[in-house]
Amino acid sequence: MNKYIKDKRGTDKILSIYWFVILTLIAGGVFAMVYVFYGAPYDVREIESEILAEKIADCISSKGIIDSEFFIDGTFNTKIGENFNEKCNFNFNVEEGYGDTNEVQYFYEVEFYTLEDLANPAFNFYNGNSNWEADCFIKKENDKEYVKLAKCTEKRFYALSGEGNQYLIKILSVIGKSEKNVK
Amino acid sequence: MLNKKAQVGESITWVVATIIVIVLLLIFIYASILLSKTKSLESSKENSEYSFDWINSKTQIAYSINDSNKNKIEDWISKSNKDE
Repeated sequence: MNKYIKDKRGTDKILSIYWFVILTLIAGGVFAMVYVFYGAPYDVREIESEILAEKIADCISSKGIIDSEFFIDGTFNTKIGENFNEKCNFNFNVEEGYGDTNEVQYFYEVEFYTLEDLANPAFNFYNGNSNWEADCFIKKENDKEYVKLAKCTEKRFYALSGEGNQYLIKILSVIGKSEKNVK
Repeated sequence: MLNKKAQVGESITWVVATIIVIVLLLIFIYASILLSKTKSLESSKENSEYSFDWINSKTQIAYSINDSNKNKIEDWISKSNKDE
């Protein structure tokens, strides 16, 4: 009889240890789930590139008229690209520590077309890291495999110069930053 | 002998229960891995009926000044590099 009582005590102890092990397992599992889900970053590059394109468009034209700084004596001001960032209050030097080369994570290109020639731009300028541009022209048949490529947005709109000349404007904005947005 | 059978039976119950708990946990962890890969904020403009296209509004304002060659302009705007 005594032997059985001793055995029962042992079983209770083992059962307690078992419950602690199970509790630890479940707690670990819940921790792993939360860590995996909340540890993954949100990929906001697509929206970021759209916002960049819209800000560029705002800087180019207002109320349907292209900013007068884009023209000098009726022709395009070729130096507008050099100080476009300052003009639009763009500051791309806020991101640091990307990759081994600390490369700029942005690129944008603006092209102006006349109605006479819609294939070749009458004027264009660009800024940022042009290496990202190639990512825009890769056909992304399966998005999962191309998730680390830069996100691109192309916007087109119509505006007039101060003299009333019609121009078609194409903006390509590209955001790299895959290290921050994709795990 | 009979006591031993009961012990073995009870042990198997606990072993199976443990395996079920572990399998369930693994399923939930795998599901959270899949869910974490869907964390992407995309533009809602295409889907929302209340969307407002800021860039398109610029074109519309320009049309109010001069809308000659509207069809040609619309054709060009509707194209993208993918189509060209």
